[in-house]
Amino acid sequence: MTLLRTPAPTDATPAEPGRTRLRRRRGRADRKPRVALAVTALFFALLYLPIAVVVLFSFNTIKSLTVFDGFGLRWYRAFLHDEVLINSLGTSLKISLVAMAGSVLLGTALALGLVRCRTRLGSVAGLIMLVPLITPEIVTGVASMLLFKGLGVTLSTGTVMISEITFSISYVTVILRSRVAALNPEVEEAAMDLGATRWQAVRLVTLPALLPAVLACSVLIFALVFDDFVLAYFTTGVDPQPLSVRIYSAIRFGVQPTINAVGTLMLAGSIGLIALALFIPRLFGRRGGLDLLSGK
Amino acid sequence: MTLSPPSRGPRRGRRAPATRIWTWFMVPGTLWMTAFLIASLVLVAVLAVGTTDSLGNPRFGFDLSSVRALTDPAYSHVLLRSLGYSLLTCVICLLIAYPVAYTIALHGGRFKNAMIAAIVVPFFANYLVRMYGWSVVLSDDGPLLRALRSIGLADSGTKVLNTGTGVVAGLVYGFVVFMIIPLYAALERLDVSLIEAGRDLYGGPLRTFLFVTLPATRQGAAAGLVLVFLPAMGDFVSAQLMGGPDQIMIGNLIQDKFFQGQNWPLGSALTMMLMLVLLIGMLGYLRRTRKDEAEARG
Repeated sequence: MTLLRTPAPTDATPAEPGRTRLRRRRGRADRKPRVALAVTALFFALLYLPIAVVVLFSFNTIKSLTVFDGFGLRWYRAFLHDEVLINSLGTSLKISLVAMAGSVLLGTALALGLVRCRTRLGSVAGLIMLVPLITPEIVTGVASMLLFKGLGVTLSTGTVMISEITFSISYVTVILRSRVAALNPEVEEAAMDLGATRWQAVRLVTLPALLPAVLACSVLIFALVFDDFVLAYFTTGVDPQPLSVRIYSAIRFGVQPTINAVGTLMLAGSIGLIALALFIPRLFGRRGGLDLLSGK
Repeated sequence: MTLSPPSRGPRRGRRAPATRIWTWFMVPGTLWMTAFLIASLVLVAVLAVGTTDSLGNPRFGFDLSSVRALTDPAYSHVLLRSLGYSLLTCVICLLIAYPVAYTIALHGGRFKNAMIAAIVVPFFANYLVRMYGWSVVLSDDGPLLRALRSIGLADSGTKVLNTGTGVVAGLVYGFVVFMIIPLYAALERLDVSLIEAGRDLYGGPLRTFLFVTLPATRQGAAAGLVLVFLPAMGDFVSAQLMGGPDQIMIGNLIQDKFFQGQNWPLGSALTMMLMLVLLIGMLGYLRRTRKDEAEARG
């Protein structure tokens, strides 16, 4: 017994590696961190409880958030007949599309430049790009609003688009940077040795290699902008307003079952988009995907 | 076409134009960010020392009254409350995130990725909708308090909504994911043989955890603390939905000064104060990590 418990270095006991390992592993497994497991289970329950409540009560037939009376689509119909909300939905979709296109275009170019170019401008650009990531959204929101007002621009859907682009460029650049760094620049040089110009090499070699990551990133940015509230809140005009700003004004003033329906639809949309973002790289084979869950 | 044959000095002159084209790639994005972000942040700083005319319109100038107004107890209380709530949120997030990340990273088996995805996906769902659902859960006759009452852990007078607890609960719910991800990444990287070595050297589970696991994941925890503290300090939704008028944070003050209150210089001064607090936090974090790196290098 005492002999077995002596902590012999695993490498030095090749005679019975299986048994010592097994014994030790079981010893650890016995001490499975029960507290940690309990916390994890409780965490998952509480993480999904609010979402479950919103989804469940969106199908309620009465206007209550505590009593579930019966299953119906009353609040979804109410949403479809609510012209203001439908308008906002269209506005949000427009903003997300424009912000996605703009920020992906600027951000991809910036990521390429930052990785490939090691001049002083590169390090300055790298620093500027980090600013939105370390500034709380309320500060960016306030600052954008002041800038627009200072320039005498009336706040509108356009101003929301501009600030969403500003904010999203950083995300695009951060996400794509590692993908660009993983590309082999020698492939480009080979293309040029074969007679391509620098621009042709970028267009025909580099960009196609980045395409899956760029597409996945676009979908993510679309989802992020669509769900964004703080920036939109500070930079939007009075009418039309993005959907999340409408939701904000609605939930500030008590129970609004229609919001449950809108929220459920938005949840479904976001989850669908994330799934799409994760799925896109698979379409192109395993290479070139985004590592969304680790890293970052 | 103007293609030059590769034989004619392929090396000569390629580096310079190569750098030039990549520099041009950076220009549009950097210009955009400078014009709309850096300029606007400078504007906030300038307006913080500005004034208002008799109609309440902001005017540029140099006047420290807004900055001085920050020392007004009404504002400094809110700042202290925001700091307190944000720090408390950080601690609670750490206490929740550590066991969760630990369980997933070390005992998740083949469900690791699925579990992390299950944490990240709700985070992408609309922040307001999540907070709204959370406020329903925490409401006086919501499912959570009803469950607690039925097992005798709460009585009919127990409230969460419209208290400080509610605000912190909201902040934790909103940002705990930012703590879990870096901790998970650190625990994932952790060499399990280190833990085994700790056990082999007769360290009990607690001692092994304290002297092996915890130090090895310190950087992940530090990153998580910053990632939670930043948005928590700037949040105004949680205080509004969960706390009510008596629990406002600095974000609510800023929002008020720019919308209802219409005192932009004061709002700008408050914004700058918020930035200052966050900057101090960031610098502390950077110093810490640099020290850690220096130690790691020996």
